[in-house]
Amino acid sequence: MLDPRHAWLRRLIALALVVAAWEAAGRAGMLNPLFAPSPSRVWHALADLFADGRIWPHLEATFSAALGGLALGIVVGILLGVAAALIPLVAELLEPVMSVLNAIPRVILAPLFVIWLGIGIASKIALSFILVAVLIFFTVYTGIRQVDRKLVERVVTLGGGRLALVRHVYLPSVTAWVLGNLKVAVGFAFTGACVGEFVAATHGLGYLLSFAQSTYNAALMFALILLILVVVMLIFAIAGRLERHLLRWN
Amino acid sequence: MSLSVGEGSFVSLVGPSGSGKSSLLRAVIGLQKPLSGTIETKLGHAEIGLLFQDDALLPWKTARDNVALGLTLNGVERRKALAEADAWLERLGLAGFGDRFPRHLSGGQRKRVALAQVLARQPKLILMDEPFASLDAIVRARVVRDVVALVERGGISVLLVTHDLEEALSLSDDVYLLSQGPRARITQHYQVPIPRPRDPVHSRTHPAFAPLYERLWADLTRAVDHRVEAA
Repeated sequence: MLDPRHAWLRRLIALALVVAAWEAAGRAGMLNPLFAPSPSRVWHALADLFADGRIWPHLEATFSAALGGLALGIVVGILLGVAAALIPLVAELLEPVMSVLNAIPRVILAPLFVIWLGIGIASKIALSFILVAVLIFFTVYTGIRQVDRKLVERVVTLGGGRLALVRHVYLPSVTAWVLGNLKVAVGFAFTGACVGEFVAATHGLGYLLSFAQSTYNAALMFALILLILVVVMLIFAIAGRLERHLLRWN
Repeated sequence: MSLSVGEGSFVSLVGPSGSGKSSLLRAVIGLQKPLSGTIETKLGHAEIGLLFQDDALLPWKTARDNVALGLTLNGVERRKALAEADAWLERLGLAGFGDRFPRHLSGGQRKRVALAQVLARQPKLILMDEPFASLDAIVRARVVRDVVALVERGGISVLLVTHDLEEALSLSDDVYLLSQGPRARITQHYQVPIPRPRDPVHSRTHPAFAPLYERLWADLTRAVDHRVEAA
């Protein structure tokens, strides 16, 4: 029987084996380094990025764009979601727009944002923002409409008015739904930032990726993918902690 | 329909499903408008407590905060409300459970928290709608016993809606039978001469209990048979 507590250990060993086999195949000359550079080459490419310090401005650019878009998207998504849930006219006007935005792959807006906002950070924030805001809008909008009527009645019969309802029922519910989608939103935010940089930029991990592609530098590409992976996992861990703490009642 | 609940008395409404028992309670508290007629109460909103089948505690608040909420919404200062909440949880046998979230309490414990929330507001009247239906038999007997003791001690009036004839008779001073809806009416009124203070389990062995139960059962069956014929 497999002991579920040791699952991480088995996964780690499996990963180590795959990496070792890959490295061995690379050294034996079985892989073309132009397409599949061995792990040690990828590692060197990654170490180089940090060694001369030229990675930092790129990391900073991507982080700023992703976190800016995330924050803006959450705030605007909540505001629009609450407005739509409470004011029928707003819902009537917003719902079709949001549904269309939800249905299309929103990254297709990237070129448009570049034309409108230039190749600086603004167009990346805008793409991150639109990815996150639509997600959060639907989370909050459907969430508020599905809020437990019994909780509302309870607070009303205890003498609570509109303000008490918002504070004790709606706000905690909205917080729970947003936190439940926080990881997805973080993923969206980085998608927006990287794709935006890939399209047109002077800085950022997406820009470096595009540079690696145009120079056929597979080792650099793998290094950057690895780096983005680590960054997002790190933020997932933080988001997971936040979620567990704030939703400990659940 | 005319029905009054005297001060400190325990009144039950029994009747077939669809006789509008729950709607009546909801109308008294103002959650629902009566189709016609008026509901008079000498009591303010804050003096009426509610205990429904679903306890509807706020899941993101601890037991203590749930109880205190009933007080702070009434204008009680928060620190005082928390102290009161702890006192009521202790009175209901939940000392040490104040920091638990509803999810981490059993059904019986949640019912006790809901009860503490209602009692802490020191209501003059409590409206109950099948409040114990979701509890298993043993837990139910114990919760009911504590409710009766606290209600008797506090001189609180109760209007209880239930399907359970035994529960109605063993707890109440007066039982009203409602006819089948729509346009349900009160068809019978029974007075229960079992003395107080009562132990709801033992009041079933009181000599007055069995004959009353027989009568109530016969009348209720007739009301339901009538419906079958009509259909």
